Amino acid sequence: MKIDYDTGDFFDEMYHADGTARPHYARLVETLSSLSEEGFHKKLEAVELAFLQQGITFTVYGNEESTEKIFPFDLIPRIIPASEWSHLEKGLIQRMTALNLFLHDVYHDQKIIKDGIVPLEIIKSGKHFREEMVGFEPPKGIYIHICGTDLIRDHKGEYLVLEDNGRCPSGVSYMIENRRAMKKAFPRLFPASGVQSVSNYPDKLHKALQYIAPQAGSATIAVLTPGIYNSAYFEHCFLARQMGAEIVQGQDLVVKKDDCVYMKTTVGLKKVDVLYRRIDDDFIDPEVFNKKSLLGVPGLMRAYHAGNVSLANAIGTGIADDKVTYCFVPDMIKYYLDQDPILPNVETFLPYREDDMKYVMENMENLVVKAANEAGGYGMLIGPAASKAEVAKFRKMVKKNPRDFIAQPPISLSRHPTYGDEGLDGRHVDLRPYIIQSDKIRVVPGGLTRVALRKGSLVVNSSQGGGSKDTWVLNNDQ
Amino acid sequence: MLCRVADSLFWMSRYIERAENTVRLVDVMHQTILESEHSNDDSGYAHWEPTLLTLDEKDSYEALYPKRSSFNVTEFLTFNERNPSSVLSCITSARENARTVRDQISTEMWETLNKLYLFIKRADSQMVCSESDFEFFAQIKEYSHLFRGILESTFPQDLGYEYVVCGREIERAAKTCQILDTKRFTSSFTGEPDDALDAVQFAAMLRSCTGFEAFHHEHGSDLDAVPVRQFLLLSHKFPRSALFCIRRLQAAMHAISNCSITHFSNEPERLTGRLVSRLSYALAVDVEGESGDRMIDEIEAELENIAIAFSRHYMRAEIHDPVIEATQSQA
Repeated sequence: MKIDYDTGDFFDEMYHADGTARPHYARLVETLSSLSEEGFHKKLEAVELAFLQQGITFTVYGNEESTEKIFPFDLIPRIIPASEWSHLEKGLIQRMTALNLFLHDVYHDQKIIKDGIVPLEIIKSGKHFREEMVGFEPPKGIYIHICGTDLIRDHKGEYLVLEDNGRCPSGVSYMIENRRAMKKAFPRLFPASGVQSVSNYPDKLHKALQYIAPQAGSATIAVLTPGIYNSAYFEHCFLARQMGAEIVQGQDLVVKKDDCVYMKTTVGLKKVDVLYRRIDDDFIDPEVFNKKSLLGVPGLMRAYHAGNVSLANAIGTGIADDKVTYCFVPDMIKYYLDQDPILPNVETFLPYREDDMKYVMENMENLVVKAANEAGGYGMLIGPAASKAEVAKFRKMVKKNPRDFIAQPPISLSRHPTYGDEGLDGRHVDLRPYIIQSDKIRVVPGGLTRVALRKGSLVVNSSQGGGSKDTWVLNNDQ
Repeated sequence: MLCRVADSLFWMSRYIERAENTVRLVDVMHQTILESEHSNDDSGYAHWEPTLLTLDEKDSYEALYPKRSSFNVTEFLTFNERNPSSVLSCITSARENARTVRDQISTEMWETLNKLYLFIKRADSQMVCSESDFEFFAQIKEYSHLFRGILESTFPQDLGYEYVVCGREIERAAKTCQILDTKRFTSSFTGEPDDALDAVQFAAMLRSCTGFEAFHHEHGSDLDAVPVRQFLLLSHKFPRSALFCIRRLQAAMHAISNCSITHFSNEPERLTGRLVSRLSYALAVDVEGESGDRMIDEIEAELENIAIAFSRHYMRAEIHDPVIEATQSQA
């Protein structure tokens, strides 16, 4: 394949600005150039067909009907050298530690508030702060068991944290399936020194769930899914299958007078000990939260409070992945761990603060404005690309509810060569590593690299034209 | 096993069987029409009428299509998504059910069903309906066979497997009865006895059940009402005869409950056992003429009762409550 590639004015993952390949990509570039473009294209088609036939799809909701799509996959892997990864790993472990300490504090003594680090109003007004969790001690004191933290790289190549997904982070099945597809399509591309494996993620998850079981010994674990119409249903099934756990919907569970959770089986009721729940707090128990929810299990919170069932993640973790709380994570790290953050945040303005509000109003055309509690790339304004009317609309919205928004300078996300209609072309990427906390914190080497497939686009979300790449963490630096 | 999982396995299997049978029916009808007298403007609609009647779909067809034509009936039975029993609807439902138990079935089972779904979704329905596309129908039948083969060789033969068998056998037995019914409706239309036409229709019926060759093995060339009924209802060798299917159903039910086949432990087992013995000890005279008609009706009604009792017992079960039991045993 002929590689005729322009790095543009961006930090490129594969190439230096002068056009030479970075050392950890050298071997890949060499192998790629020896492939024919035709052969490469055939492999891509084969992989896409395999994804479709396996039903590795997600659902996009449109105005009228929902459609099933495969998550577009790019065959050029992203490579991270070992030393760079170990830096990221340390930073992620530090962050996860601080987030769990923060959640415990915020639902108990609130020292961080009393000491004036995080303002009380931010917590009280947080959409995902759950009064029901105040004073409750979750099993082993852990709130976030599974976190997906999104990292980006700026024009200098520095890694920054864009957000933490501490509720129900998704995408991990794509990480595993992408690797499987790559191994099938391009065994020759893998370096002789190997690539760190991601396939044991389900085992790690299983152990983390076992770890919080109400009683020692073998626990009955189930994955609680909203059902087959949920966009991540494939993943829920995938994980259940890989862990040998049951996959259940709300209708399969019942909480009895003894405050235990049971599944309805063909031979009667069977007690459930741990739920890996992929339903948001709001819908999980109609007795306590959204009364109209048909997805949840009435009485689940009773069982949880009684300690008869453990949930991962805990209820109420959403207050930690609120984008306003996000701004305080570096302060949390300092406060709880007395350390400097290893991975910095993106510079962020909080319209909630008077000075920041002024700045945001005056510079909105040059900022990215995000709703504090939306996910999936929704509720977002990219100032430089937006029309006057859109900017005006956001100005009004921010002014009305300053607490609900944050603003950041646009980061020119790093780019990665990506295969498209015109051969290899630079596309913006981010990285979502998965962090699991049980007896200790473990980070899956690599994670999901998401890529904005539309030329020039900075939005990597699958619902908005994003795709993904296999992500290799090398065993060494080259 | 979760009630919902049992229910989904049962229905997944039932829908695949239903799709396959409808395809057979449509395919055989196309071939029959080619050899029989039909005018060009209704292009054989009269031949379809008995089929629509046995499937109990005549009214819904006529509500959806003002024009009566072979093309439209084929479209209705094969591709129409507003017809819940169309082949496409059945395959879609089978796949939805498979998706809810994706974690329980083998990857190969799921992928085969998904491929079948993608195949029919991408088919050119205009072409299939106007050309009576033999290849298309053959392909769907092959997928269905493939699925069964994969089931046998990749799916653990325990509880879940038995639910799959129950779904398949109930559906298959019911469909065989329906196919026998077509002949009854045909006769009521034509009135006059016509031996040549009868022979063609019996042959078509046997082909719809893949039983043409097997019939000749068992009954020689005697293509007549009584032997055909005997064969399709009472044969204990042919895998699509009503008796054969119901016996398999019985075996699967007893495998689920672990109760010996000599007695019953629940209502669906009782109903099934009763039906098995009724068919096992039937004579040729029982399937003849009107008493035969009655027998077909009764089998169909009884299968429906069995399906209801089965799902009531296992899937929307009166769940026994360990809390109450615990307090009772303490008391």
